[in-house]
Amino acid sequence: MPERRRRRRSPLGVLRAGLAYAGGEAVAAFRRNGLMSAAAVTTIMVTLLPVGGAVALAANLRLMTTILERQVQVVAYLRDGISPQERDRLTAQVRALPGVRRVEFVGRDQALVRLQDALGERVSLRDVIETNPLPDSLEVALVNPREARPVADAVRQIGGVEDVAFGAQAVDRLLAVTGLLRTGGAAAGLLLGGVALIIIMNTIRLTIIGRRQEIEIMQLVGASPWYVRSPFMLEGMLQGLVATALAALVLIPGYILLFARARDVVPFLPLVHAPDLLPTLVVSLGLGGMLVGMSGSLLALRRFLHT
Amino acid sequence: MIRLQGVTKRYPNGLLALNDVSFSMAEGEFVFLIGPTGAGKSTLLRLLYRAEVASRGKVSVAGRDITRLPARQMPALRRSMGVVFQDFKLLPRKTAYENVAFAMQVTGTPPEEIRPRAMQALEVVGLADRADALPWQLSGGEQQRISIARAIVHQPPLLLADEPTGNLDPRTSWEIVQLLSRINLRGTTVLVATHNKLIVDILRQRVVELAAGTVVRDEDYGLYASHA
Repeated sequence: MPERRRRRRSPLGVLRAGLAYAGGEAVAAFRRNGLMSAAAVTTIMVTLLPVGGAVALAANLRLMTTILERQVQVVAYLRDGISPQERDRLTAQVRALPGVRRVEFVGRDQALVRLQDALGERVSLRDVIETNPLPDSLEVALVNPREARPVADAVRQIGGVEDVAFGAQAVDRLLAVTGLLRTGGAAAGLLLGGVALIIIMNTIRLTIIGRRQEIEIMQLVGASPWYVRSPFMLEGMLQGLVATALAALVLIPGYILLFARARDVVPFLPLVHAPDLLPTLVVSLGLGGMLVGMSGSLLALRRFLHT
Repeated sequence: MIRLQGVTKRYPNGLLALNDVSFSMAEGEFVFLIGPTGAGKSTLLRLLYRAEVASRGKVSVAGRDITRLPARQMPALRRSMGVVFQDFKLLPRKTAYENVAFAMQVTGTPPEEIRPRAMQALEVVGLADRADALPWQLSGGEQQRISIARAIVHQPPLLLADEPTGNLDPRTSWEIVQLLSRINLRGTTVLVATHNKLIVDILRQRVVELAAGTVVRDEDYGLYASHA
């Protein structure tokens, strides 16, 4: 008799009834097991907060290291009394070198102005020196700061270049620091993400173990594994989503506030503006939260679905 | 309907629950499976609804060998039988009606069919008027009747009951057994595991006695004790 009944139904009808059941059951469970759900949501939210914070920090560190590294440049000091034609030829020659992003000619007068600017108004260079002692120079920006040494060596070979400076030691140190920041940031992120994953999955496992009986009965009356799983999966996704929304309520104003504060204290620090970071951050946390919630449910259910 | 051939079940902890048990039941039969606690009654039932796998031997239900039934086909097997337990296994936060309807929802019954069929099952057990009660608002006997309603709502050809009266007083136990008997008269094959002497002796049905994992007696119109 059940066979006949099943054959009469269209696959679409089955799917519709199934989805309605899973959705309704997930929402109902979310309400019914209020305390457990609240505990799970809170835990997921609390674990998402440091992850979100770390991502925001990492984005800023990345920006900082990129900007710092971009400031690495090779300066070629040119021989005195060089003709404009020779200057253009040299510039073109340097520009043609591999690893060179941009070449800018800085005339000696311009260099003097820059030096005066750097010294500020308290010291007037004109009072100290009569003639301009600075040479013409080419400022060479690099594609990759790691290529500072080979580019400098190549520039030195070009006739008309008297000396080359690129702050070898400073560049080496800078690169060491930025490299450390990058790998350290990635490692910390992975660790934090892993810990969050474990905590969230365990929380969901607890909520599911609390409903063992329900699962047992479902299996006993012949629910297919998909029917057992789907409400729990949807519930896990829902928990992840709500937790992300709550975490966003803390992360967004928190970042905006910290951004403003940091801007006041260290104005020269390059920071990622909130609109550039937060939408991506919240969306990816939300997707991640949903995914973790869902897979946490699946993983926790595996133990019960084997009988 | 049911056939066990040389079935042995040894649990991973070494306990030998069933030892070379052979036993069969025809369609429409009513059988009491009796024996002291630990004789293997529950294990035998668990093999039938495939919560356990036999260590040796062959188990078939309705002509189908379920000894090595793949997990994929378990839902179909479970829908072809109803199972009733000593502790009722009702969901505490669902009403009587919802508990019965739940069994149909999770097996994908079309929504419009659920209400009439659930109510019909509740009528069979005489509790249609308590449909909106929560389990804790019902007596033990009423709870067991709800669980029986849930077991028969798919109109399965086979009903298994594991100590259905274990938690009930004698009078209520008698009501439950009468109900199972009525369900049997409607054509359902019923296997009841019990150590309730009274109901076995009053009903005088076929009795299969297990002791230490082996069948020691199989008697039509039997009593609980072999020498009464």
